[in-house]
Amino acid sequence: MKLNDIEQAMLDGVHGKAAQWAIDYQRSVGTFFDADDFVPVRVIHVSTDRETIGDSGVAFIEELGAMPPEERRPRAFATADFRGFDEETFRFLLPGRDLAAESAEAVGALGKLGVVTSHAYVNDHSVTAPGFGEACGYSGTPSVVYMNGIVGARCNFEAGPSSLAAFFTGRVPRYGFHLDEKRLATHAFTLDFTPATVVDWGIVGALIGRKLNSYWSVPALEITGPRPAVLDLNHMALAMASYGSIAMFHVIGITPEAPDWNTACGGKAFEREVISQSDLDAFYAEWGGIGEKLDVVALSTPQLDIPEIVQIAERLDGRKVHADTTLLVYTPIEIKEACARIGLTQTIENAGGRVVHGHDFFATFAREIREAHGWERLMTHSVKMVNICEGYGYKPTPAAIPRCIDSAIAGKVLP
Amino acid sequence: MTGTVIKGHIGIGPAVEGIALVASDNFSTRYDLDRDRGIVSRPSHKLYGENYVGRILVLNAAKGGVASAWMLREMVQRDKAPLGLLLNDANPVMAQGAAFAQLPLIDRFETDITAAIKSGDRIAVDPAQGLVRILSSN
Repeated sequence: MKLNDIEQAMLDGVHGKAAQWAIDYQRSVGTFFDADDFVPVRVIHVSTDRETIGDSGVAFIEELGAMPPEERRPRAFATADFRGFDEETFRFLLPGRDLAAESAEAVGALGKLGVVTSHAYVNDHSVTAPGFGEACGYSGTPSVVYMNGIVGARCNFEAGPSSLAAFFTGRVPRYGFHLDEKRLATHAFTLDFTPATVVDWGIVGALIGRKLNSYWSVPALEITGPRPAVLDLNHMALAMASYGSIAMFHVIGITPEAPDWNTACGGKAFEREVISQSDLDAFYAEWGGIGEKLDVVALSTPQLDIPEIVQIAERLDGRKVHADTTLLVYTPIEIKEACARIGLTQTIENAGGRVVHGHDFFATFAREIREAHGWERLMTHSVKMVNICEGYGYKPTPAAIPRCIDSAIAGKVLP
Repeated sequence: MTGTVIKGHIGIGPAVEGIALVASDNFSTRYDLDRDRGIVSRPSHKLYGENYVGRILVLNAAKGGVASAWMLREMVQRDKAPLGLLLNDANPVMAQGAAFAQLPLIDRFETDITAAIKSGDRIAVDPAQGLVRILSSN
Protein backbone atom coordinates (compact mmCIF):
# COMPACT_ATOMS: atom_id res chain seq x y z
CA MET A 1 0.00 0.00 0.00
CA LYS A 2 1.20 3.49 -0.79
CA LEU A 3 1.57 5.65 2.32
CA ASN A 4 1.62 9.45 2.13
CA ASP A 5 3.84 11.53 4.41
CA ILE A 6 1.35 11.66 7.29
CA GLU A 7 0.66 7.93 7.11
CA GLN A 8 4.38 7.15 7.02
CA ALA A 9 4.88 9.42 10.04
CA MET A 10 2.13 7.53 11.87
CA LEU A 11 3.88 4.26 11.08
CA ASP A 12 7.15 5.74 12.34
CA GLY A 13 5.50 6.63 15.65
CA VAL A 14 5.57 10.41 15.20
CA HIS A 15 1.81 10.67 15.93
CA GLY A 16 1.84 8.43 18.98
CA LYS A 17 1.67 4.76 19.80
CA ALA A 18 -2.07 4.34 19.17
CA ALA A 19 -1.83 5.73 15.63
CA GLN A 20 1.27 3.59 15.05
CA TRP A 21 -0.58 0.44 16.04
CA ALA A 22 -3.62 1.51 14.04
CA ILE A 23 -1.93 2.32 10.73
CA ASP A 24 0.13 -0.87 10.87
CA TYR A 25 -3.01 -2.92 11.56
CA GLN A 26 -4.96 -1.18 8.80
CA ARG A 27 -2.09 -1.68 6.37
CA SER A 28 -2.12 -5.43 6.99
CA VAL A 29 -5.87 -5.61 6.30
CA GLY A 30 -5.56 -3.30 3.29
CA THR A 31 -2.73 -5.39 1.87
CA PHE A 32 -4.83 -8.54 2.31
CA PHE A 33 -7.48 -6.93 0.08
CA ASP A 34 -5.06 -5.31 -2.42
CA ALA A 35 -5.86 -1.72 -1.38
CA ASP A 36 -3.64 0.83 -3.16
CA ASP A 37 -3.93 3.53 -0.53
CA PHE A 38 -6.08 5.01 2.25
CA VAL A 39 -9.21 7.16 2.02
CA PRO A 40 -9.92 9.84 4.68
CA VAL A 41 -13.05 9.47 6.82
CA ARG A 42 -14.89 11.94 9.03
CA VAL A 43 -17.21 9.61 10.92
CA ILE A 44 -16.43 6.34 12.67
CA HIS A 45 -18.93 4.05 14.32
CA VAL A 46 -17.63 1.56 16.88
CA SER A 47 -19.76 -1.50 17.50
CA THR A 48 -19.11 -2.65 21.02
CA ASP A 49 -21.79 -4.97 22.32
CA ARG A 50 -20.41 -6.52 25.48
CA GLU A 51 -20.83 -10.13 24.42
CA THR A 52 -18.91 -9.58 21.18
CA ILE A 53 -16.13 -7.42 22.52
CA GLY A 54 -15.27 -9.89 25.25
CA ASP A 55 -12.97 -9.39 28.20
CA SER A 56 -9.94 -9.22 25.93
CA GLY A 57 -11.53 -6.42 23.87
CA VAL A 58 -12.26 -4.36 26.98
CA ALA A 59 -8.70 -4.94 28.17
CA PHE A 60 -7.38 -3.79 24.78
CA ILE A 61 -9.43 -0.56 24.89
CA GLU A 62 -8.30 0.04 28.47
CA GLU A 63 -4.67 -0.41 27.40
CA LEU A 64 -5.14 2.29 24.77
CA GLY A 65 -6.81 4.53 27.34
CA ALA A 66 -3.91 4.05 29.78
CA MET A 67 -1.51 5.66 27.31
CA PRO A 68 -0.69 9.36 27.87
CA PRO A 69 -3.04 11.59 25.82
CA GLU A 70 -0.29 12.57 23.38
CA GLU A 71 0.11 8.90 22.45
CA ARG A 72 -3.57 8.40 21.56
CA ARG A 73 -4.91 11.48 19.81
CA PRO A 74 -7.96 10.75 17.62
CA ARG A 75 -8.24 11.88 14.00
CA ALA A 76 -11.95 11.25 13.37
CA PHE A 77 -15.27 11.68 15.15
CA ALA A 78 -16.43 8.43 16.66
CA THR A 79 -19.71 7.28 18.09
CA ALA A 80 -20.38 3.94 19.68
CA ASP A 81 -23.75 2.25 19.79
CA PHE A 82 -23.17 1.35 23.37
CA ARG A 83 -26.74 0.97 24.40
CA GLY A 84 -26.00 -0.56 27.78
CA PHE A 85 -28.25 -3.00 29.55
CA ASP A 86 -31.74 -2.80 30.93
CA GLU A 87 -30.84 -3.78 34.48
CA GLU A 88 -34.33 -4.71 35.62
CA THR A 89 -35.00 -6.99 32.66
CA PHE A 90 -31.57 -8.56 32.82
CA ARG A 91 -32.02 -9.49 36.45
CA PHE A 92 -34.95 -11.54 35.14
CA LEU A 93 -33.31 -12.84 31.96
CA LEU A 94 -29.96 -13.82 33.40
CA PRO A 95 -30.01 -13.93 37.19
CA GLY A 96 -26.64 -13.84 38.91
CA ARG A 97 -24.77 -11.97 36.20
CA ASP A 98 -24.03 -8.26 36.63
CA LEU A 99 -24.18 -7.14 33.04
CA ALA A 100 -24.63 -3.50 34.00
CA ALA A 101 -21.23 -3.46 35.70
CA GLU A 102 -19.62 -5.26 32.76
CA SER A 103 -21.07 -2.79 30.29
CA ALA A 104 -19.96 0.17 32.41
CA GLU A 105 -16.35 -0.99 32.00
CA ALA A 106 -16.52 -0.73 28.24
CA VAL A 107 -18.41 2.58 28.27
CA GLY A 108 -15.78 4.00 30.60
CA ALA A 109 -12.89 2.71 28.53
CA LEU A 110 -14.27 4.07 25.26
CA GLY A 111 -15.19 7.39 26.85
CA LYS A 112 -11.63 7.80 28.05
CA LEU A 113 -10.48 7.49 24.44
CA GLY A 114 -12.97 10.18 23.36
CA VAL A 115 -15.52 7.91 21.71
CA VAL A 116 -19.00 9.37 22.20
CA THR A 117 -21.35 6.68 23.44
CA SER A 118 -25.02 7.02 22.62
CA HIS A 119 -28.02 4.93 23.47
CA ALA A 120 -29.75 5.79 20.20
CA TYR A 121 -30.03 3.14 17.53
CA VAL A 122 -27.47 3.60 14.78
CA ASN A 123 -29.71 4.19 11.81
CA ASP A 124 -31.95 6.80 13.36
CA HIS A 125 -29.42 9.55 12.58
CA SER A 126 -29.41 11.03 16.05
CA VAL A 127 -25.79 11.88 15.29
CA THR A 128 -24.76 13.57 12.07
CA ALA A 129 -24.87 10.88 9.44
CA PRO A 130 -22.64 10.48 6.40
CA GLY A 131 -24.17 11.65 3.14
CA PHE A 132 -24.25 10.34 -0.42
CA GLY A 133 -20.79 9.50 -1.72
CA GLU A 134 -19.01 10.16 1.61
CA ALA A 135 -16.47 7.59 2.83
CA CYS A 136 -17.09 6.42 6.39
CA GLY A 137 -15.95 3.76 8.84
CA TYR A 138 -19.05 2.09 10.21
CA SER A 139 -18.79 -1.04 12.25
CA GLY A 140 -22.22 -2.63 12.64
CA THR A 141 -23.18 -4.92 9.77
CA PRO A 142 -26.69 -3.42 9.40
CA SER A 143 -25.23 0.08 9.48
CA VAL A 144 -22.73 -0.67 6.72
CA VAL A 145 -25.24 -2.19 4.33
CA TYR A 146 -27.65 0.66 5.15
CA MET A 147 -25.00 3.29 4.44
CA ASN A 148 -23.90 1.69 1.18
CA GLY A 149 -27.27 0.63 -0.21
CA ILE A 150 -29.80 3.10 1.15
CA VAL A 151 -27.76 6.28 1.76
CA GLY A 152 -25.10 5.83 -0.91
CA ALA A 153 -22.26 6.57 1.51
CA ARG A 154 -19.17 4.38 1.07
CA CYS A 155 -18.11 1.85 3.65
CA ASN A 156 -16.69 -1.61 4.22
CA PHE A 157 -17.40 -3.61 7.34
CA GLU A 158 -15.02 -1.87 9.75
CA ALA A 159 -15.49 -4.18 12.69
CA GLY A 160 -14.63 -3.31 16.31
CA PRO A 161 -10.82 -3.08 16.34
CA SER A 162 -10.81 -1.86 12.75
CA SER A 163 -13.08 1.10 13.47
CA LEU A 164 -10.98 1.93 16.51
CA ALA A 165 -7.92 1.96 14.25
CA ALA A 166 -9.72 4.38 11.90
CA PHE A 167 -10.50 6.57 14.91
CA PHE A 168 -6.76 7.05 15.46
CA THR A 169 -5.75 7.45 11.82
CA GLY A 170 -8.74 9.28 10.35
CA ARG A 171 -8.71 7.00 7.33
CA VAL A 172 -9.50 3.50 6.12
CA PRO A 173 -7.91 1.31 3.47
CA ARG A 174 -9.40 2.05 0.04
CA TYR A 175 -10.73 -1.28 -1.21
CA GLY A 176 -14.13 -2.90 -1.68
CA PHE A 177 -17.04 -0.48 -1.50
CA HIS A 178 -14.88 2.64 -1.54
CA LEU A 179 -14.19 1.84 -5.21
CA ASP A 180 -16.72 2.79 -7.93
CA GLU A 181 -16.41 -0.51 -9.79
CA LYS A 182 -16.98 -2.66 -6.69
CA ARG A 183 -20.32 -0.94 -6.05
CA LEU A 184 -21.82 -2.10 -9.34
CA ALA A 185 -24.28 -4.98 -9.32
CA THR A 186 -22.92 -8.47 -9.86
CA HIS A 187 -26.24 -10.36 -9.70
CA ALA A 188 -29.80 -9.51 -10.72
CA PHE A 189 -33.11 -10.50 -9.18
CA THR A 190 -36.75 -9.78 -9.89
CA LEU A 191 -39.53 -9.99 -7.33
CA ASP A 192 -42.75 -11.21 -8.92
CA PHE A 193 -44.84 -10.47 -5.82
CA THR A 194 -45.19 -7.59 -3.40
CA PRO A 195 -43.88 -8.27 0.13
CA ALA A 196 -46.59 -7.49 2.65
CA THR A 197 -44.60 -6.98 5.85
CA VAL A 198 -41.08 -6.26 7.06
CA VAL A 199 -40.76 -9.99 7.68
CA ASP A 200 -41.46 -10.69 4.02
CA TRP A 201 -38.81 -8.12 3.11
CA GLY A 202 -36.41 -9.74 5.56
CA ILE A 203 -37.02 -13.11 3.93
CA VAL A 204 -36.31 -11.65 0.48
CA GLY A 205 -33.01 -10.46 1.94
CA ALA A 206 -32.31 -13.87 3.46
CA LEU A 207 -33.02 -15.66 0.17
CA ILE A 208 -30.69 -13.34 -1.73
CA GLY A 209 -28.03 -13.59 0.98
CA ARG A 210 -28.15 -17.39 0.94
CA LYS A 211 -27.82 -17.50 -2.84
CA LEU A 212 -24.88 -15.10 -3.07
CA ASN A 213 -22.99 -15.88 0.07
CA SER A 214 -20.15 -13.50 -0.58
CA TYR A 215 -19.22 -10.08 0.71
CA TRP A 216 -18.11 -9.11 -2.79
CA SER A 217 -21.48 -9.87 -4.42
CA VAL A 218 -23.77 -6.90 -5.06
CA PRO A 219 -27.38 -7.83 -5.77
CA ALA A 220 -29.68 -5.58 -7.78
CA LEU A 221 -33.38 -6.16 -7.34
CA GLU A 222 -36.38 -5.11 -9.39
CA ILE A 223 -39.62 -4.92 -7.47
CA THR A 224 -43.32 -4.55 -8.16
CA GLY A 225 -45.90 -2.68 -6.16
CA PRO A 226 -45.62 0.50 -4.14
CA ARG A 227 -42.34 2.08 -3.11
CA PRO A 228 -41.01 0.24 -0.03
CA ALA A 229 -40.49 2.15 3.20
CA VAL A 230 -36.96 2.63 4.49
CA LEU A 231 -37.79 0.17 7.30
CA ASP A 232 -38.71 -2.45 4.67
CA LEU A 233 -35.37 -1.92 2.93
CA ASN A 234 -33.58 -1.95 6.27
CA HIS A 235 -35.02 -5.39 7.15
CA MET A 236 -34.10 -6.71 3.71
CA ALA A 237 -30.61 -5.25 3.92
CA LEU A 238 -29.71 -6.57 7.34
CA ALA A 239 -31.00 -10.04 6.43
CA MET A 240 -28.81 -9.98 3.30
CA ALA A 241 -25.87 -9.07 5.52
CA SER A 242 -26.73 -11.73 8.07
CA TYR A 243 -27.33 -14.65 5.70
CA GLY A 244 -24.75 -13.77 3.08
CA SER A 245 -22.36 -11.11 4.40
CA ILE A 246 -23.75 -8.73 1.76
CA ALA A 247 -22.72 -5.09 2.30
CA MET A 248 -24.07 -3.35 -0.82
CA PHE A 249 -27.27 -3.69 -2.86
CA HIS A 250 -29.43 -1.84 -5.34
CA VAL A 251 -33.18 -1.64 -5.79
CA ILE A 252 -33.88 -0.38 -9.30
CA GLY A 253 -35.59 2.99 -9.26
CA ILE A 254 -35.40 3.19 -5.46
CA THR A 255 -31.84 3.30 -4.12
CA PRO A 256 -29.55 6.20 -5.02
CA GLU A 257 -27.07 4.45 -7.30
CA ALA A 258 -29.68 2.49 -9.26
CA PRO A 259 -31.88 4.86 -11.29
CA ASP A 260 -32.05 2.06 -13.89
CA TRP A 261 -30.61 -1.40 -14.62
CA ASN A 262 -27.87 -0.05 -16.88
CA THR A 263 -26.49 2.31 -14.23
CA ALA A 264 -26.73 -0.24 -11.42
CA CYS A 265 -24.88 -2.88 -13.44
CA GLY A 266 -22.33 -0.59 -15.10
CA GLY A 267 -23.66 -1.44 -18.54
CA LYS A 268 -23.50 -5.20 -18.03
CA ALA A 269 -26.55 -7.41 -18.52
CA PHE A 270 -27.20 -10.21 -16.04
CA GLU A 271 -29.81 -12.92 -16.20
CA ARG A 272 -32.48 -11.99 -13.66
CA GLU A 273 -33.39 -14.65 -11.17
CA VAL A 274 -37.01 -14.54 -10.11
CA ILE A 275 -37.98 -14.66 -6.44
CA SER A 276 -41.61 -15.77 -6.04
CA GLN A 277 -44.27 -16.05 -3.40
CA SER A 278 -43.55 -19.79 -3.32
CA ASP A 279 -39.95 -19.07 -2.24
CA LEU A 280 -41.30 -16.90 0.54
CA ASP A 281 -43.79 -19.57 1.62
CA ALA A 282 -41.06 -22.20 1.64
CA PHE A 283 -38.92 -20.07 3.94
CA TYR A 284 -41.76 -19.69 6.44
CA ALA A 285 -42.45 -23.44 6.25
CA GLU A 286 -38.78 -24.20 6.94
CA TRP A 287 -39.12 -22.85 10.49
CA GLY A 288 -42.62 -24.01 11.30
CA GLY A 289 -43.53 -24.45 14.95
CA ILE A 290 -47.26 -23.88 14.50
CA GLY A 291 -49.19 -25.13 17.52
CA GLU A 292 -46.08 -25.54 19.68
CA LYS A 293 -45.71 -23.99 23.13
CA LEU A 294 -44.18 -20.54 22.78
CA ASP A 295 -41.46 -19.64 25.27
CA VAL A 296 -40.35 -16.19 24.19
CA VAL A 297 -41.24 -13.47 21.72
CA ALA A 298 -38.29 -11.17 21.07
CA LEU A 299 -39.06 -8.15 18.90
CA SER A 300 -35.70 -6.63 18.08
CA THR A 301 -33.02 -6.34 15.39
CA PRO A 302 -33.56 -3.68 14.33
CA GLN A 303 -34.92 -2.22 17.54
CA LEU A 304 -38.48 -1.00 17.24
CA ASP A 305 -39.54 2.45 16.16
CA ILE A 306 -42.47 4.38 17.60
CA PRO A 307 -45.08 3.31 15.01
CA GLU A 308 -44.26 -0.34 15.74
CA ILE A 309 -44.64 0.23 19.48
CA VAL A 310 -47.98 1.91 18.86
CA GLN A 311 -49.01 -1.18 16.88
CA ILE A 312 -47.98 -3.49 19.73
CA ALA A 313 -49.71 -1.41 22.40
CA GLU A 314 -52.94 -1.33 20.40
CA ARG A 315 -52.80 -5.08 19.89
CA LEU A 316 -52.18 -5.75 23.60
CA ASP A 317 -54.59 -3.20 25.05
CA GLY A 318 -56.86 -4.97 27.55
CA ARG A 319 -55.33 -8.40 26.90
CA LYS A 320 -52.74 -10.47 28.79
CA VAL A 321 -49.59 -12.21 27.64
CA HIS A 322 -49.76 -15.94 28.50
CA ALA A 323 -48.16 -16.80 31.83
CA ASP A 324 -45.73 -19.24 30.19
CA THR A 325 -44.59 -16.85 27.47
CA THR A 326 -42.17 -13.93 27.81
CA LEU A 327 -42.73 -10.94 25.53
CA LEU A 328 -39.69 -8.70 25.02
CA VAL A 329 -40.01 -5.46 23.04
CA TYR A 330 -36.62 -3.84 22.38
CA THR A 331 -36.20 -0.14 21.76
CA PRO A 332 -33.63 2.58 22.58
CA ILE A 333 -34.06 4.08 26.04
CA GLU A 334 -35.02 7.45 24.55
CA ILE A 335 -37.88 5.81 22.62
CA LYS A 336 -38.96 3.81 25.66
CA GLU A 337 -39.18 7.02 27.68
CA ALA A 338 -40.97 8.86 24.87
CA CYS A 339 -43.50 6.03 24.65
CA ALA A 340 -43.94 6.10 28.41
CA ARG A 341 -44.85 9.78 28.23
CA ILE A 342 -47.93 8.88 26.17
CA GLY A 343 -48.76 5.67 28.02
CA LEU A 344 -47.67 3.09 25.43
CA THR A 345 -44.97 1.54 27.60
CA GLN A 346 -47.45 1.12 30.44
CA THR A 347 -50.00 -0.53 28.16
CA ILE A 348 -47.46 -3.12 27.08
CA GLU A 349 -46.25 -3.68 30.65
CA ASN A 350 -49.81 -3.92 32.02
CA ALA A 351 -50.42 -6.71 29.51
CA GLY A 352 -47.40 -8.56 30.90
CA GLY A 353 -44.88 -7.57 28.21
CA ARG A 354 -41.48 -6.05 28.89
CA VAL A 355 -40.19 -2.99 27.05
CA VAL A 356 -36.44 -3.50 27.05
CA HIS A 357 -33.79 -0.93 26.29
CA GLY A 358 -30.14 -1.57 25.63
CA HIS A 359 -28.49 -4.10 23.39
CA ASP A 360 -30.49 -6.43 21.21
CA PHE A 361 -31.66 -9.78 22.48
CA PHE A 362 -29.27 -11.77 20.29
CA ALA A 363 -26.27 -9.72 21.43
CA THR A 364 -26.73 -10.25 25.14
CA PHE A 365 -25.91 -13.85 25.93
CA ALA A 366 -29.03 -15.28 24.29
CA ARG A 367 -27.66 -18.82 24.59
CA GLU A 368 -27.17 -18.47 28.33
CA ILE A 369 -30.64 -16.92 28.66
CA ARG A 370 -32.15 -19.93 26.86
CA GLU A 371 -30.33 -22.33 29.15
CA ALA A 372 -31.27 -20.35 32.31
CA HIS A 373 -34.98 -20.49 31.44
CA GLY A 374 -35.14 -23.79 29.58
CA TRP A 375 -36.53 -21.98 26.52
CA GLU A 376 -36.80 -23.45 23.04
CA ARG A 377 -39.45 -21.86 20.83
CA LEU A 378 -38.87 -18.22 19.96
CA MET A 379 -40.89 -15.94 17.69
CA THR A 380 -39.56 -12.76 16.13
CA HIS A 381 -40.30 -10.41 13.26
CA SER A 382 -36.54 -10.20 12.56
CA VAL A 383 -35.33 -12.68 9.96
CA LYS A 384 -31.77 -11.87 11.00
CA MET A 385 -32.56 -12.94 14.55
CA VAL A 386 -34.01 -16.22 13.25
CA ASN A 387 -30.60 -16.89 11.72
CA ILE A 388 -28.60 -16.07 14.83
CA CYS A 389 -30.89 -17.66 17.41
CA GLU A 390 -30.92 -20.98 15.59
CA GLY A 391 -27.18 -21.10 16.23
CA TYR A 392 -27.88 -20.43 19.90
CA GLY A 393 -30.12 -23.46 20.20
CA TYR A 394 -33.54 -21.83 19.84
CA LYS A 395 -36.27 -23.05 17.53
CA PRO A 396 -37.18 -19.74 15.90
CA THR A 397 -40.36 -18.87 14.01
CA PRO A 398 -40.42 -15.71 11.87
CA ALA A 399 -43.73 -13.87 11.95
CA ALA A 400 -45.10 -10.36 11.57
CA ILE A 401 -45.64 -8.37 14.75
CA PRO A 402 -49.45 -8.92 15.03
CA ARG A 403 -49.00 -12.70 14.77
CA CYS A 404 -46.18 -12.58 17.32
CA ILE A 405 -48.40 -10.67 19.76
CA ASP A 406 -51.42 -12.92 19.28
CA SER A 407 -49.20 -15.97 19.78
CA ALA A 408 -47.73 -14.48 22.97
CA ILE A 409 -51.25 -14.10 24.31
CA ALA A 410 -52.19 -17.65 23.30
CA GLY A 411 -48.95 -19.09 24.69
CA LYS A 412 -48.38 -21.04 21.51
CA VAL A 413 -47.36 -20.39 17.92
CA LEU A 414 -50.48 -19.41 16.00
CA PRO A 415 -50.75 -19.84 12.21
CA MET B 1 -2.99 -35.72 -2.02
CA THR B 2 0.21 -35.73 0.03
CA GLY B 3 2.71 -33.13 -1.16
CA THR B 4 0.15 -31.08 -3.04
CA VAL B 5 0.67 -27.32 -2.78
CA ILE B 6 -2.37 -25.05 -3.13
CA LYS B 7 -1.87 -21.38 -3.88
CA GLY B 8 -4.06 -18.65 -2.48
CA HIS B 9 -3.83 -14.89 -1.96
CA ILE B 10 -1.21 -13.56 0.45
CA GLY B 11 -2.70 -14.03 3.90
CA ILE B 12 -2.46 -12.85 7.48
CA GLY B 13 -0.78 -14.25 10.60
CA PRO B 14 2.03 -16.73 11.34
CA ALA B 15 2.78 -20.04 9.59
CA VAL B 16 1.31 -23.15 11.26
CA GLU B 17 0.99 -26.90 10.78
CA GLY B 18 -2.01 -28.89 11.94
CA ILE B 19 -4.99 -31.12 11.22
CA ALA B 20 -7.73 -29.84 8.93
CA LEU B 21 -11.45 -29.77 9.72
CA VAL B 22 -13.26 -29.26 6.44
CA ALA B 23 -16.79 -28.56 5.18
CA SER B 24 -18.31 -26.74 2.22
CA ASP B 25 -20.41 -24.59 4.59
CA ASN B 26 -19.83 -20.94 5.39
CA PHE B 27 -18.48 -19.54 8.64
CA SER B 28 -19.30 -17.06 11.38
CA THR B 29 -17.94 -17.15 14.91
CA ARG B 30 -21.17 -15.75 16.31
CA TYR B 31 -23.66 -17.80 14.31
CA ASP B 32 -22.01 -21.19 14.20
CA LEU B 33 -19.92 -21.73 17.32
CA ASP B 34 -20.34 -22.47 20.98
CA ARG B 35 -17.25 -20.49 21.88
CA ASP B 36 -17.20 -21.66 25.50
CA ARG B 37 -17.15 -25.35 24.62
CA GLY B 38 -15.19 -25.02 21.41
CA ILE B 39 -17.69 -26.85 19.20
CA VAL B 40 -19.76 -26.02 16.14
CA SER B 41 -23.22 -25.46 17.57
CA ARG B 42 -25.46 -24.66 14.62
CA PRO B 43 -27.59 -27.77 13.93
CA SER B 44 -27.73 -27.10 10.18
CA HIS B 45 -23.94 -26.76 9.86
CA LYS B 46 -22.13 -29.76 8.35
CA LEU B 47 -19.61 -29.64 11.21
CA TYR B 48 -22.31 -29.60 13.89
CA GLY B 49 -20.97 -31.03 17.15
CA GLU B 50 -17.33 -31.06 15.95
CA ASN B 51 -14.61 -29.69 18.21
CA TYR B 52 -12.67 -27.10 16.23
CA VAL B 53 -10.14 -26.03 18.89
CA GLY B 54 -6.59 -26.44 17.61
CA ARG B 55 -7.76 -27.58 14.17
CA ILE B 56 -7.32 -25.68 10.92
CA LEU B 57 -10.85 -24.84 9.82
CA VAL B 58 -11.39 -25.05 6.07
CA LEU B 59 -14.71 -23.58 4.96
CA ASN B 60 -16.28 -21.74 2.06
CA ALA B 61 -17.05 -18.09 2.84
CA ALA B 62 -17.18 -15.74 5.78
CA LYS B 63 -20.74 -14.78 6.59
CA GLY B 64 -22.60 -12.62 9.04
CA GLY B 65 -21.56 -9.57 10.84
CA VAL B 66 -18.92 -7.76 12.74
CA ALA B 67 -18.70 -10.04 15.74
CA SER B 68 -15.80 -12.14 14.48
CA ALA B 69 -13.37 -9.22 14.58
CA TRP B 70 -13.37 -9.02 18.38
CA MET B 71 -14.22 -12.67 18.98
CA LEU B 72 -11.27 -14.34 17.24
CA ARG B 73 -8.80 -12.66 19.61
CA GLU B 74 -10.94 -13.51 22.63
CA MET B 75 -11.04 -17.14 21.45
CA VAL B 76 -7.26 -17.22 20.96
CA GLN B 77 -6.64 -15.80 24.44
CA ARG B 78 -9.01 -18.34 26.00
CA ASP B 79 -7.49 -21.28 24.07
CA LYS B 80 -10.81 -21.85 22.29
CA ALA B 81 -9.71 -20.89 18.80
CA PRO B 82 -9.00 -22.86 15.66
CA LEU B 83 -5.30 -23.06 14.78
CA GLY B 84 -5.94 -21.36 11.46
CA LEU B 85 -8.62 -20.54 8.95
CA LEU B 86 -8.71 -21.27 5.21
CA LEU B 87 -11.66 -19.88 3.26
CA ASN B 88 -12.56 -19.61 -0.39
CA ASP B 89 -13.74 -16.07 0.34
CA ALA B 90 -12.98 -14.07 3.47
CA ASN B 91 -14.74 -10.80 4.14
CA PRO B 92 -13.27 -7.71 5.81
CA VAL B 93 -14.51 -8.74 9.26
CA MET B 94 -12.70 -12.07 9.13
CA ALA B 95 -9.50 -10.40 7.87
CA GLN B 96 -9.73 -7.69 10.53
CA GLY B 97 -10.34 -10.34 13.18
CA ALA B 98 -7.46 -12.50 12.02
CA ALA B 99 -5.10 -9.51 11.97
CA PHE B 100 -6.22 -8.49 15.46
CA ALA B 101 -5.86 -12.04 16.80
CA GLN B 102 -2.77 -12.91 14.74
CA LEU B 103 -4.65 -16.01 13.61
CA PRO B 104 -3.43 -17.50 10.32
CA LEU B 105 -5.87 -16.81 7.46
CA ILE B 106 -5.61 -17.40 3.71
CA ASP B 107 -8.38 -17.09 1.09
CA ARG B 108 -8.90 -16.80 -2.70
CA PHE B 109 -7.30 -20.11 -3.65
CA GLU B 110 -6.70 -21.30 -7.20
CA THR B 111 -9.18 -24.11 -6.52
CA ASP B 112 -12.10 -24.81 -4.18
CA ILE B 113 -10.17 -25.24 -0.95
CA THR B 114 -13.00 -27.18 0.69
CA ALA B 115 -12.69 -29.84 -2.04
CA ALA B 116 -8.88 -29.84 -2.19
CA ILE B 117 -8.40 -30.71 1.50
CA LYS B 118 -10.13 -33.42 3.53
CA SER B 119 -10.88 -33.49 7.23
CA GLY B 120 -8.01 -35.21 8.99
CA ASP B 121 -5.37 -34.12 6.49
CA ARG B 122 -2.24 -32.72 8.08
CA ILE B 123 -1.44 -29.42 6.39
CA ALA B 124 1.11 -26.62 6.53
CA VAL B 125 -0.22 -23.08 6.18
CA ASP B 126 2.10 -20.24 5.14
CA PRO B 127 0.14 -16.96 5.03
CA ALA B 128 3.16 -14.83 4.04
CA GLN B 129 3.43 -16.81 0.81
CA GLY B 130 -0.30 -17.58 0.48
CA LEU B 131 0.49 -21.32 0.30
CA VAL B 132 -1.01 -24.46 1.80
CA ARG B 133 0.81 -27.80 1.60
CA ILE B 134 -0.81 -31.16 2.30
CA LEU B 135 1.73 -33.02 4.48
CA SER B 136 -0.21 -36.25 4.92
CA SER B 137 -3.64 -37.43 3.94
CA ASN B 138 -5.94 -40.04 5.46
